[in-house]
Amino acid sequence: MPDNLEEAISEALAEATDGPIKILVVDDEVDLEALVLQKFRRRIRRNELVFEFAHNGQEAMEKLDVDDDISMVISDINMPVMDGLALLKQLNETRPNIRSVIVSAYGDMNNIRTAMNRGAFDFVTKPIDFNDLEITIDKTLKHLALVREALSNRDQLVALSRELDVARDMQASVLPRSFPSTARYNTHGLMVPAKEVGGDFYDFVPLGEDKIGVAIGDVSGKGVPAALFMMACRTLLRSHALEGGRPDEALAYVNNLLADDNESCMFVTLFYGVFDSGSGVFNYCNGGHNPPRLVHRGGQVTALPTTRDVALGVLPGHTFSQETLQLESGDMLFFYTDGVTEAEGPGSEELGEDRLDALLATLDDTSCDDVTSRVLDQVREFAAGNAQSDDITCVALRYLGG
Amino acid sequence: MATGSVLDLTTETEGDTTVVIPAGRIDGSTASPFQESLLKLIEGGKGSLVVDFENIEYISSAGLRVLLLAAKQLQAGGRKIVLCAMRDHIAEVFKISGFSEILAIHPTRQDAIDAG
Repeated sequence: MPDNLEEAISEALAEATDGPIKILVVDDEVDLEALVLQKFRRRIRRNELVFEFAHNGQEAMEKLDVDDDISMVISDINMPVMDGLALLKQLNETRPNIRSVIVSAYGDMNNIRTAMNRGAFDFVTKPIDFNDLEITIDKTLKHLALVREALSNRDQLVALSRELDVARDMQASVLPRSFPSTARYNTHGLMVPAKEVGGDFYDFVPLGEDKIGVAIGDVSGKGVPAALFMMACRTLLRSHALEGGRPDEALAYVNNLLADDNESCMFVTLFYGVFDSGSGVFNYCNGGHNPPRLVHRGGQVTALPTTRDVALGVLPGHTFSQETLQLESGDMLFFYTDGVTEAEGPGSEELGEDRLDALLATLDDTSCDDVTSRVLDQVREFAAGNAQSDDITCVALRYLGG
Repeated sequence: MATGSVLDLTTETEGDTTVVIPAGRIDGSTASPFQESLLKLIEGGKGSLVVDFENIEYISSAGLRVLLLAAKQLQAGGRKIVLCAMRDHIAEVFKISGFSEILAIHPTRQDAIDAG
């Protein structure tokens, strides 16, 4: 994110300062044209400045209509057809991005006041002192560059934050809105997206009265691409899982589709398990995800044995394997993404698995919704105000017995 | 959002093998310059690519993706990517994600060059 932002800002800067600045000089004295070109010849030759000329206000407006590059107008006041004050009024109303400098007779305070009130940026007096005019031009251009830079940065920031919002909305739209529970089990889950969304997700898949599928995943990378990949993954998994198939087959199915033509090499670590609350059996397959924890009553915490499978989207045709776990009444399964364990505290230290396990050991008798919020509290306490760099996801499922 | 993360990258050659020694963190903010550097080296070289992890403190999923991409590019030309000298917590990332099953990882740079 800081990279993108810096790039965006430097591009904006380059754009704001690139190329010659075009100035329109409006005066009915034809001699002025030659004087200006002579006085500024070096800067014209260096391609810093370009001058256009008009002889009254109306001609000036016509030039401005066909030339969007003019960023500054220097205008006399007394001219035929349309005078300088009328021109200022029109400029002020229709072209707020153009800065104008008025040329008036020395001591003509009335006209100068009117001009300033109509939005003139500055004024110079007649007879024109070209050194003074040059200083005024430079002052005006500096001001213009700053304004453009600010506008441009704002637009870039708005575009970036819109993209962040899109990713966040996509992610929020697919998260479960309710947490399944019966007399035999209950569940809870929460996900806190990072500022730049990281592509975490979790899901509960209803599989009849006794069974429930639990998924948790983390897509590589961040932002809209990660969110899109995550949505594809979640939809594919759901479409297969709802048919009640085995977790290893579900992951193989999702993997083959994600790996097909995956030029970007994005991948997702995905854990999927099916819990049968009738028997207490939990069948699962782990596609490269952090091993979930089994928390026994009494506070014993163990990591679920890995199935040694690879993250999804990488190896088409990979055969996934499955493990089986027998839960006892009161056992809790806790699933998480690395936003929990890689949360950074003071001095870049990571929260780590040991701290997580130590906390989980004290939550053996805590309700699932309290478990997830206690873990989140621990992450926040540990981070002590450090920016959250990755999505934080945790899911809990407790077997209440048959 | 790690602030001020930089990825220094030094390169050496051993015959046809290019050895890349990045230092620091390969995360969301350094992954894309890392990707650019690797792809450029792959394009400019003809043998295997060894990535020495001795000075890498952290690698995120964005960094893993870059390695996969590099592996794919190299494979397309019948070449190899070999990783080496990972600290334990880095090796753990490769193990958990299963990438240690797909990417060749060796304990030392010399082993990696020999395998390349």
